[in-house]
Amino acid sequence: MTHSHDDHAPIQASEEVSEFEILETAIRELSIEHGLFSREDHRRFSEWAESVGPSGGSKLVAKAWVDPEFKKRLLADGTETCKEVGIDWRDPTGSGTPSDYTYFYVLENTPKVHNVIVCTLCSCYPRPVLGMSPDWYRTPNYRRRLVRWPREVIAEFGLHFPSDVEVRVHDSNQKSRFMVMPMRPEGTEGWSEEQLASIVTRDTMIGVAVPQVDWTATTPPSDNGGAAR
Amino acid sequence: MTKFEIGDRVTVKDATSMFHTRTQAFIRGHTGVVVEHRPAWVIPEDEAWGRVDDGRTEPFYVVRFQQTDLWPRYTGYEIDTLETECSERWLEPAGEADT
Repeated sequence: MTHSHDDHAPIQASEEVSEFEILETAIRELSIEHGLFSREDHRRFSEWAESVGPSGGSKLVAKAWVDPEFKKRLLADGTETCKEVGIDWRDPTGSGTPSDYTYFYVLENTPKVHNVIVCTLCSCYPRPVLGMSPDWYRTPNYRRRLVRWPREVIAEFGLHFPSDVEVRVHDSNQKSRFMVMPMRPEGTEGWSEEQLASIVTRDTMIGVAVPQVDWTATTPPSDNGGAAR
Repeated sequence: MTKFEIGDRVTVKDATSMFHTRTQAFIRGHTGVVVEHRPAWVIPEDEAWGRVDDGRTEPFYVVRFQQTDLWPRYTGYEIDTLETECSERWLEPAGEADT
């Protein structure tokens, strides 16, 4: 089949603007007009908020895997223990923005319980530790279906559990924010914290994947049939 | 003081969905078990109106439901569960019929 640029439809700007986009624009413009913050403040804050990725969460999990005392503290008080790796949930606004959280809880996977997170009411997500949520996490499709058909949904991500493993869905409908602490896979004995953190990818902390020894967020698995070579 | 203790069986009230409640329709009328306490905070019914400082605060609870109790034709396994948080006003002790 020949490729021709004529096949492409012209790019068209979407005319649809949601109620929330209008509300955001109105409040932003009013705030700037009244001198609450400047346009540059707003741009810088957006740039910062959008640059937060999942590396904080990876660090928390890797540290917990190698340090049982840290793990105890993390499971007992997630918000406070985050400060040990330089994450302050109240920074920089003092009230928890960019995530309207109150408390942060880490959910530990065990051989008998697999945790997975969702927010059916909106798209609450532990942003200070995982950054912005993936697009699919915010879709009504994921939000509706995960609570109703969790095994089918995680199977679509390639994850399957036998009948003796409890799949536990956490719907963050109030002020708590959650992150999954996956199990440390076999074959990682003697790894450094940095090596361990590299396999704790975003999806393993949402609970739609589990860490693989040869799979980081930036390198494909080695057994992909050699397609990449 | 909290009205419910860990391990208590509670039923979510099947109350109105008018205004902002943050209590999902799919758990209303269903029975689960209290598995954790959460600190008291302003209920969403008040916070939604900007009443952060003078809003009513209430204890919150993590309630664990068996998936098979939430969905009549649940296709996963018996042991699967779902956890979510409820303010005290939304919970009542589970009746004998629910135990």
